[in-house]
Amino acid sequence: MYSYWNVFRVIFLRDIILASRYRAELANPLIFFIMVIVLFPFAFGSDPELLRRVTAGMIWITALLASSLSLEGIFRSDYDDGSAEQMVLSGCPLTLLVAAKITAHWCLTGLPLIIIAMLTAYLLSLSTQALQALFLTLLLGTPVLSLIGAIAVALTVGLRSGGMLLSLIILPLYMPTLIFSMLAVENAMVDLPVDAELYFLSGMLALSVTLAPIATAYSLRIRMS
Amino acid sequence: MNRIQKLNALKTIQYNCKEDELSQLEVSGIECIRQDIILFQDVSFKLHTGDLLQIDGVNGSGKSSLLRLLAGLMQPNAGEIIWQGKEISRCRYEYQQEIIYIGHLNGVKDALTALENLRVMVALAGSKPDIPLSNALDQVELAGMDTIPLSRMSAGQKRRVALARLFVTKAAIWLLDEPFTSLDASGKLVIERLIAEHCARGGIIIFATHQPMEIENCSIMHIHLGKK
Repeated sequence: MYSYWNVFRVIFLRDIILASRYRAELANPLIFFIMVIVLFPFAFGSDPELLRRVTAGMIWITALLASSLSLEGIFRSDYDDGSAEQMVLSGCPLTLLVAAKITAHWCLTGLPLIIIAMLTAYLLSLSTQALQALFLTLLLGTPVLSLIGAIAVALTVGLRSGGMLLSLIILPLYMPTLIFSMLAVENAMVDLPVDAELYFLSGMLALSVTLAPIATAYSLRIRMS
Repeated sequence: MNRIQKLNALKTIQYNCKEDELSQLEVSGIECIRQDIILFQDVSFKLHTGDLLQIDGVNGSGKSSLLRLLAGLMQPNAGEIIWQGKEISRCRYEYQQEIIYIGHLNGVKDALTALENLRVMVALAGSKPDIPLSNALDQVELAGMDTIPLSRMSAGQKRRVALARLFVTKAAIWLLDEPFTSLDASGKLVIERLIAEHCARGGIIIFATHQPMEIENCSIMHIHLGKK
C-alpha cells in the first residue's frame, strides 16, 4: 500500500522547500564556519608553515561545531507545530521518515559545508594530498555527524535546557570521527597511506546509516509520549 | 442435511463475530498518571462501527491525554486498548493506518502552502485521496487559497487546513481533540456534516469538546472524566 520511496521523497522535498523559505536559518552555520576560518589566521599570525599544520584540524573542528549548531533545529519546528506527532502516527515506518529528514539536513548543511571547507583549505595553502584526504574525510564524516547528532536531537527536542544537554551527549560521540579524520589528513601531509583511516570512517558511516535512523525514531517516540 | 445447515449457521455466527470484532475498539480499565497526578482511572468502553463518542470533562481532566492514549502516542499506566482483538502497541503500524488524530496542534507547516501541506498529509497516510486535493480545500471553504502560505492565514483557516486531512485521507477511527477550536459557525457546520457522514459510513469517531454537540441521525455517547 505504501510506496516507501514516495514517502521518503515527499518528506525530503518538504524539508528542502522549508529550508529554501527560511534561507537565513540555512546560512547561519555556514556563516559561522566562514567566520571562524577567516578569524583564525588573524589570531595566529600568517606564518604559512603554522597555518598549513593547523588548517585541517581547524576546519574539522569548525565543521563539527557548525554541524551541531544546525542540527538543533532539525526536529524543533516539527515538534512545536505538531508535525512530529503526525509523523509518529502515520502508518509509515518512522525510521524511514527520520532518514528522509536527516538526508535532507545533510544535503542542506553538510554538502555546502564541504564545498566551503575545500575552498578555504585551498586558500590556506594545504598540499594536494592533504586536500584530497580532507575532502574524503569530510565526505565520509559529515553524514556520520548528522546521523549521530539526530539521535541526540530527537532525545532532547522540546526540552528547555535541550541545547546544553545536546552538546553533552553529542561531543563524545563525535570524537572517533574527528580522531580518524585528523589521522588521515596528518598521514596525507607526510605522504603516508590513508586507507586504514578511510576504511574506519566508511565503517562508521555504514554503521550510523543503518542504526542511527532506528535510534532516532525510537528517541522521537519517547519524546512524544 | 441437518449437519450442513448447522455448519452453515455456525459459519454465519463466526463471520458475524469476526465482523463485530473487526470494527471494534475496546478500552478496558485504563489509567493515566501525569506528573504524579492520577488523571483518570479505570476508564472502560467499547465502540462498534458507526459509534460517536464525546469525551467530557473540565480543563485538566485528561481529555487530551485519553485521546493521545487512544492514538498510541502514550502508553496507559494500567489497562489496555484493544483493536480488532489485538493490543494496539502489538500492531502499531496497522492500527496507525486506521486512525486519524488531530490534536491541539494542527500538524501543518506555516511556511508551506495549503496544497503542499495536503500533499505531505496524503503521502504520510499512504492512501490515494478520492477527490483532488484542491477540491478538499473547497470543501473546507478555502477555495482559491491553495497557493498561499499558512503563515498568512488566520488561526481558523489553519485549523481548516488541518481538518482537510479528514477529506483526503481514509481511516476508520477519527480522534479529534477540540476540533472546533477557532472555527466559525460555518466551519463548525462543515465538520459536523463530515462527522455525520463518517458515522453513516460505519466509522468510529471519538472527540473531545466543550461545546454541546447535536448531530443529525447520530446518537452521541458520552464519557465523563474527572469529578462531577
